[in-house]
Amino acid sequence: MLAWICGGALLVAMVTDTLAMLGRAVHVPLLGAIEVVQTAVLFASAGGLIVAALDSAHARVHLLVSRLPAGVRDALARLHAAASAVLYLALLAGSAWIASDLWNGHEESELLLIPYRPLRVALIGALAVLLVHSLTRIRVRQRP
Amino acid sequence: MTGQPLLGLAGVITLLVLLLTGMPIGIALGLVGLGGLALTLGLEPAVIKSGVLLFETLTRYELGTLPLFMLMAHLCFAAEASRDFFDVAARFLGHRRGGLAIASVAGCAGFGSINGSSLATTATIGLVALPEMRSRGYADSLATGSIAAGGTLGQMIPPSGALIVFGIIAEQSIGALFTAAIVPGITQMLSYFLVIALWVRLQPGIAPRLPGSSWAERRAALRRILDIGVLVVVVTGGIAVGWVTPSEAAAVGAAGALLICWLRKRLNGQTLRRALEETLRTSGLIYLVIVGALIFSAFISVTGLTEAIGTSIAGLGLGPSGTMLLVAAFLLLIGSVLDGLAMMLLTTPILLPLVTGFGLSPVWFGIFLVRAMEIGFVHPPIGMNLYVIQGVAPDVSIGRVFRGVLPFLAADLIHLVLLALFPVIALGLQHWLGR
Repeated sequence: MLAWICGGALLVAMVTDTLAMLGRAVHVPLLGAIEVVQTAVLFASAGGLIVAALDSAHARVHLLVSRLPAGVRDALARLHAAASAVLYLALLAGSAWIASDLWNGHEESELLLIPYRPLRVALIGALAVLLVHSLTRIRVRQRP
Repeated sequence: MTGQPLLGLAGVITLLVLLLTGMPIGIALGLVGLGGLALTLGLEPAVIKSGVLLFETLTRYELGTLPLFMLMAHLCFAAEASRDFFDVAARFLGHRRGGLAIASVAGCAGFGSINGSSLATTATIGLVALPEMRSRGYADSLATGSIAAGGTLGQMIPPSGALIVFGIIAEQSIGALFTAAIVPGITQMLSYFLVIALWVRLQPGIAPRLPGSSWAERRAALRRILDIGVLVVVVTGGIAVGWVTPSEAAAVGAAGALLICWLRKRLNGQTLRRALEETLRTSGLIYLVIVGALIFSAFISVTGLTEAIGTSIAGLGLGPSGTMLLVAAFLLLIGSVLDGLAMMLLTTPILLPLVTGFGLSPVWFGIFLVRAMEIGFVHPPIGMNLYVIQGVAPDVSIGRVFRGVLPFLAADLIHLVLLALFPVIALGLQHWLGR
């Protein structure tokens, strides 16, 4: 489901930018295309962060870790999950802080007047998912 | 070096240690950056700054470039374009001594023009070309070495994932970086051709001559890549001559790949879903790294570490060329313990201001950095491409794969030095196009 929703956002960005390019070529500019792409990119990237975390696909350096005993690797994996939780918590706190500060400012894009509130809420939601996922990973024992 | 630069240095060392413990790169960068900002500015500004950076980054228009190019690559892969690129090169060059090895490198360059990853290029072309070369009596060293080295072209030839990441964190034009990568990518490919030609001349037994293909077979092979070829020309050429922005080119590329997939009757719900999932997964991991790198970068700039290092290096009186050779040696050293992405993100905030301080172009530095990263892909102990190749041919020892890549590594080092001494290799095309 997440792949279709966030992937769908990516397809929206693809179609919008393609139409904008074609429109420019025939002198029919597609006003606000950049704003649509920006919005779609936020949803796609928030989804991407979640998909990568759920699949444990994050890039890491394997040089030393692959040579360590299973017990040490397990301890390190839990430590890394805790570190991830700390970072996601800080990002969540920072994002929530800004969102609450700007909540009554009614931020919106210039041409299409796309409101920023839902975008900020979506990002906070994604960070909350990442935080919960990291916290659960602290308790999971790594398979030998 | 006192006070805050020392704190910056402590941050760099801490980051290096965390990376070596296997912590996700994005998490390590973000955590060290956040901790450093908290120590220098206070916890509240650090948390708010991180929140601002996150939202600003994830709503950047240029950020769409990365997943859309990835989507294009996954869709082209689904359309079986990787085999077609190798087939064309093999039909035209296979009858020459070492021709299949040259065709493998050319296939890597072709696949690299629709895909921005070194590992994906190595794995994809390796699966097609390696069994072909081995079954035709090519020595394992030449067969594996040519693909492991050729795979690095995926990262240099536009669209390049590494250059997009560099463009975002260094705030440089992705279009300018792509244009600047064209000549280094082509000269790199030609240097590999030269290595193969010299190698088979010295040891003819490692690559037997094969029967040639007829012109009808060659034309048929060419027809199969016509659609993807047009797409590549539109995307890369469009960026180079300024018809389209990189973001638009990525969107057009993805839309074109979707159309090609459909025309080749390879598009269905499952294919599209898999392509979207793969794209989200890979782009998600890179986004985390980018956000982490920007937070880390903010910390490094607050400490003044770069200025301190710049002053120390300027004191050596090496001049721009000497400094760049020193930087190259440093990058190769760091590249021995960190993988390419980690190396780029750790060193860019420190080295970029230093390089620009010497009056050198940041676009050229991006190309130089990616070239140095590529070398890390083919030399131990990291050498990810070597392991990818070994995964394709498990009966070939890693030692033999490495011996096979050594002549190409020598060519890489010469190419890197030439790039350091003659920035025109990267910047000449841009000037010629008047951009």
